[in-house]
Amino acid sequence: MRTSPTTVRRALAAAAGAALAVGLFTACGSDGDTGGDADTAEDFDFSCPERTDGEPQIDEAANESQPFVFGTPGDPTSLDPILASDGETFRVNRQVFDTLLDADCTDTVPGLAESFEQNPEGTEWTFHLREGVTFHDGAPLDGAAVCKNFDRWANFKGGFQSPNFTYYYSAVFGGFAENDPAMGIETESIFKGCTADGLTATISISQYTSSFPGAFTLESLSIISPLSIDAVADVTLPAADSPLPEYTQTVGTLAGTGPYKLQDWNHSEQEVTLVRNDDYFGEPAHVKTLIFKTISDETARRQALEAGDIHGYDLAAPADAQALLDAGYQVPIRGVFNLLYLAYTQGHAPLEDHAVREALSYAVDRQRIVDSVLPAGGMVATQFIPPSLEGYSDDVATYEYDTDKAKELLAEAGAEDLSLTFCYPTDVTRPYMPAPKDIFDIIASDLEAAGVTVEARPITWVEYIPTTRSGECPLYLLGWTGDFADPYNFLGTWFAAPSTEWGFDSPEVFDAIAAANTEPDAAARVDLWKAANEAVMEELPGLPISSSPPSIAFAANVYPPDVSPLTREDFAQVSFTTGS
Amino acid sequence: MLRYTVKRLLQLAVALLGLTLLLFAWFKALPGGPENQLLPENATDQQREALRAALGLDEPLWVQYGDFVGRAVRLDFGSSLSSGRPIATELADRLPATIELSLAAMLIAVGVGIPLGYLAAKRRGSWLDFSAVSGSLLGTCIPIFFLAAMLKVVFAQELGWLPTTFRLSAGSTYTEVTGLRVLDGVITGEFDIAWDAVLHLVLPAIALSSIPLAVIVRITRASVLDVVGEDYVRTADAKGLKPSVVRGRHVMRNAMLPIATIIGLLLGSLFAGAVLTESVFSFGGIGSFVYQATTERDYPALMGFILVIAVFYVVINLLVDLSYGLLDPRVRVRS
Repeated sequence: MRTSPTTVRRALAAAAGAALAVGLFTACGSDGDTGGDADTAEDFDFSCPERTDGEPQIDEAANESQPFVFGTPGDPTSLDPILASDGETFRVNRQVFDTLLDADCTDTVPGLAESFEQNPEGTEWTFHLREGVTFHDGAPLDGAAVCKNFDRWANFKGGFQSPNFTYYYSAVFGGFAENDPAMGIETESIFKGCTADGLTATISISQYTSSFPGAFTLESLSIISPLSIDAVADVTLPAADSPLPEYTQTVGTLAGTGPYKLQDWNHSEQEVTLVRNDDYFGEPAHVKTLIFKTISDETARRQALEAGDIHGYDLAAPADAQALLDAGYQVPIRGVFNLLYLAYTQGHAPLEDHAVREALSYAVDRQRIVDSVLPAGGMVATQFIPPSLEGYSDDVATYEYDTDKAKELLAEAGAEDLSLTFCYPTDVTRPYMPAPKDIFDIIASDLEAAGVTVEARPITWVEYIPTTRSGECPLYLLGWTGDFADPYNFLGTWFAAPSTEWGFDSPEVFDAIAAANTEPDAAARVDLWKAANEAVMEELPGLPISSSPPSIAFAANVYPPDVSPLTREDFAQVSFTTGS
Repeated sequence: MLRYTVKRLLQLAVALLGLTLLLFAWFKALPGGPENQLLPENATDQQREALRAALGLDEPLWVQYGDFVGRAVRLDFGSSLSSGRPIATELADRLPATIELSLAAMLIAVGVGIPLGYLAAKRRGSWLDFSAVSGSLLGTCIPIFFLAAMLKVVFAQELGWLPTTFRLSAGSTYTEVTGLRVLDGVITGEFDIAWDAVLHLVLPAIALSSIPLAVIVRITRASVLDVVGEDYVRTADAKGLKPSVVRGRHVMRNAMLPIATIIGLLLGSLFAGAVLTESVFSFGGIGSFVYQATTERDYPALMGFILVIAVFYVVINLLVDLSYGLLDPRVRVRS
């Protein structure tokens, strides 16, 4: 059986787990299959789907002679990982650069670090790096190289500090060594320093948050060669709207440690070409040449696959999935790692009334949305985090579809003639919300059936976020795809403090989230997150609707990579096959 | 002629300044801001405000406008908010694809349209005339987007004769000279690249040529019909000139004035059509760039693009006006 890098990582994770006393690699669930038609939180096995496609008949000749072309919905923006916050850039950079820790499914597993440990306060993180890893430019990986990266980021100046460029760094560490007032960051950095000792690097922070250690898996925090850092040391970025530096747009300056090396970025052809790194520390990539080609139109991507111009593409339309399968293409199902919700903005009477919020929740048939709108693998959500995360609780208050109960509760609350404005975005599809209008139609008809008059308010996407954030919409649809395995990445951004977008003030909820977020002990933290989820669902600020995986498709003659709920596919696993 | 040219250039500058003002007012009137596209959904309000401030979007409007015009005069359109690259570089990278596609479409439109319009006029009332007129009506009726999709489904997907997407097969290596792939392939002797580029051009160029082809057929037909009835053509026929001389020197040369005007106008409008065609065929020109800039409220990119297109449009029309002098001696004499 082919040993994939993922398998290696799993074994390493297990070994690391046995060896370390504290701060071990955490596992979010046991391995197993998805249960086929399982589609609710209760009966779904939350770990990533196990592969069932058996041993591939690898076509070595094709792997060497033919480029593997993958159609992407958009262009990458920067070859410097720290200066990116978008999925298309991550997709390319992930093949070239490595992070200290990696993610397998949503588990945190070894990356460049074989193991790590933390102090009891969670303020010192010590990483033990792999031996014998070299960057593409020949520089060796050691603790000093890692620290050089962290020191570089912490000391960014000027436009480098803008969230436009370093969103994830400032989101994780709060700020920089010297915040530039022009960039608007007012919070103090929690990064205190990095010390190196041989193959060990210790990162100190002033205050623990539950973003750690998950944040060390973020592609933005990929480790680049110390020689590369020297090469770009003098580059400045004067303002937030300055052009990205030239070195981020052309290959040749930055070197990583990944299974592929950058060969060319042809902007006019919207094509990034990677070539296999034969000195990769893990299992070398199967296909010699890997090309990411931008095809922004969803239909055009499918047609390009059908015509054989490309060998795979991402974000297939849910409606196309069955047709592709019927035609012999492969549409492996990703695990879920996002959440769609219906928000009840309190401040719009009578949504302050808990019974009314309960009634609305009982009125919505979420299973119909999952069955008719979402791609295969979608499931009804019972709380505001996907089930793959630690802290997911089986004891939250649930609201099964029951129109009669909804009517009854509305009558008891004296809200029989309830009329509500319901906002939805018009010109966008999101991974968690593939067809906003269809989802709106189902919910609106359910609410009407319970006696609620719904006034539709379609809003364009650019206007949608500010409108919903301002609290203007009593009801609205929104969601989030997680960046890394951390409940705070979901719960914290929504319910850590009072906000106009939710309009409620519940010390129980806020305190529960703060307690979980600052608890450095992993086991205790899981319980605290469960309690936080239960507090949120007791408050019922909105109705979690669904988690659903974005679809990815491959040609029949391809052995696809393990698909990832975080869309972190490792293309080194890809191979052409002789099967068909 | 020189005074005329200078006058037209001054008009061009005033028109462009007015255009920047209109564009700026229009974009500012649109709801939403780029910070909502540039940051993830769960970015905090503070992060959004910080980005707005850092991008200068909280400056007074006249300051923002002055900044834009000041930069544009120096041919500095700033950088794209979405890609982070200089807009001039983005346009330089993508414009050749659109120019190549537009030229190919115009070549088809002119190469087929003028002879077809001429024949339709010469054989007025025949089946050929009927077919040309009906076909041109159809050409103007079918949306480019739909025609492009149909051509792609039939000739690329079903029959597999031609590629569905891109300007070249993925992974092709070539030497860039002008950015026009066919021309570059010929210049550098990379004929396989040139041929590959031609194959990738055929379907999008046919789709894009549909409207100009239809218009040129109709204008040529009408213009030729006007001219063939003139006394000087009858005289030329009567004095026994060869039909080819009558056709070339007396009919077509005089019929070309309105055709030249319309070709100039159509060349400009081809850029708009190219946006749709390119998105269907993932042709990698300015189409996808403009689409992305529009959806992401990437104001600097859109303004830069529209200004460049406006300059193209006005310059092309200036050239058409100047070409009257070459085509019609009367214009030369008058000016």
